[in-house]
Amino acid sequence: MDVLTIALLSGISFGMVLFLIASGLSLVLGLMGIINVAHGAIFMVGGYIGVTVGNATDSFFFAVLTGAVSAGVIGLVIERGFLRNLYKKELDQILVTFAFVYIMTNITLWIWGPWPKNITVPSMLTSSVPIGSFRFPIHRFLVIFVGGIVCVCLWWLQEKTKIGAIVRAGMDDAQMVSVLGLNLTPITIGLFVLGSSLAGFASVIAMPMMGGVNTELGTSIIFTAIAVVIVGGIGSVQGTLAGALLIGVVYNLAATYFPPIAKFTAYIAMILILLFRPSGLLGRELQRQF
Amino acid sequence: MDISLVSLLTKILIFGLLAMSLDLVFGYVGLWSFAHAALFGVSAYAAAIFVIHYHITSFWIVLPGGMFVAGIVAGIFGFIALRVSAIYFLLITLALGQLVFGIVTTFRRLTGGSNGLAGIQYPDLTFPFLPAALSSTGFYYLTLIIFVVCAFVLYTLLNSPFGYSLRGIRENESRMRGLGYNTWLIKFTAFIVSGLFAGVAGVLYVHFNGIIAPGDVGVMASGAVMLMVIIGGAGTLWGALIGSVVILSLQHFIGLIIPERWPLVMGICFALVVICLRGGIFPYLHILWRKVSSCES
Repeated sequence: MDVLTIALLSGISFGMVLFLIASGLSLVLGLMGIINVAHGAIFMVGGYIGVTVGNATDSFFFAVLTGAVSAGVIGLVIERGFLRNLYKKELDQILVTFAFVYIMTNITLWIWGPWPKNITVPSMLTSSVPIGSFRFPIHRFLVIFVGGIVCVCLWWLQEKTKIGAIVRAGMDDAQMVSVLGLNLTPITIGLFVLGSSLAGFASVIAMPMMGGVNTELGTSIIFTAIAVVIVGGIGSVQGTLAGALLIGVVYNLAATYFPPIAKFTAYIAMILILLFRPSGLLGRELQRQF
Repeated sequence: MDISLVSLLTKILIFGLLAMSLDLVFGYVGLWSFAHAALFGVSAYAAAIFVIHYHITSFWIVLPGGMFVAGIVAGIFGFIALRVSAIYFLLITLALGQLVFGIVTTFRRLTGGSNGLAGIQYPDLTFPFLPAALSSTGFYYLTLIIFVVCAFVLYTLLNSPFGYSLRGIRENESRMRGLGYNTWLIKFTAFIVSGLFAGVAGVLYVHFNGIIAPGDVGVMASGAVMLMVIIGGAGTLWGALIGSVVILSLQHFIGLIIPERWPLVMGICFALVVICLRGGIFPYLHILWRKVSSCES
């Protein structure tokens, strides 16, 4: 029973990390129609910058802040510098972001070297709570809590604000939105930057739990994040949450009870959803012709 | 011949073949497949398993074996992926490619896990008048012959009615269906054929390289192949070969100076090609050729 509880809690905390990473990906995919394959690399670089700042200033708070901001800046550069030139050529945009994975991973390797890095966490976060005969790290509760807050904020943004309404309208019919006189461009840029910042934020906040940053992250986490987006449904916060928690929990349960298949759970879920319910668990019915 | 040059040429032919197989589905049918390194990889792993675990070294068994495995996997992938279109197709092939990557890393006893399988020699040709053991130059000629045969088959295929139906599907699938073509079957067949050729490349690769590891199988490797096709010019068949020449030569020369920065250079090339040189190199060469030949008359 304790083992199950631990597995579920670990799964939920991992799911929250996935949510933070995938939400940016999902909203950008819904509104702009592009899969930012470099999102994982942005996650990685944000983490590295956060670690460097965190270990230099001994402040976890600053680490998280710089991680998020730097990731947002990188997102801005990619969007304005490169994706803008390929407006409406979605498949080309995907290829360019793919190129950026190679570029960013190699530059990270160049600057920080091949060894993984980890951040020094404030002492109050390193303790653990007893659950049955095991101990569960407090830090994971922090991740769940923070993830929950971000989720609520994003949901509020999506459902209760004018900007959210414009975004949802843009996902349904971007042409109509511009006909109505609303400029979608600053909003798409903002969304892209927000998504990237969330990835950087997630990277630092979850780092103690994820075991640090390494140069493989650019290429490893992105596919799980894409699976989350597809499974949960494109373009909605609640969809991404559903997909993230589902994949996070299933992965942890598999890792606990059937380790050999753990790696595959995300991809199998993704393939099943694409075959039987392409719009995802809670996705919007997209009008966009892919 | 200088051994590293022979080595480079052999590698160019092998990846040229792989890129051509991708061009078949990507350039001619318009399917964005990120699974081709996986098809290449399963064939290479199958060949490696034949040689290492079952001690079958005869090329005439290993080659068809690898092709067969690749064909089967391509059939499975195609069956799953062809149910959806465009971006979802891309995503499914991505997931399938990563699935293969996960599988080869997990089943250590069979595939050597993250270390891969090593120790594969040049193939054993066991035929009366062929040399018993190949040198690297000998292997180069073998690869060249196989490449020429495959290229010829592909060229004939692509300029046959079947090949034109592929182009038709790329341009307007619903119209093709309206004309009575079974587009699903055509796409499926094309995908399997593509897998067979990727399989040939895979078997040649594992003999050439001596080792096959998970890194050769994943999505990033598929991306590199896609880059070759795009740089050379998608939908032109020879463009794929040109792409292979450009990328591998570049990799060879960068490797002589600053090998650690190769992925960076490749990423930059990739970005530049996508933004500036969208049609690839081949169309420019084609125009140049036309200009030159019309000047003479």
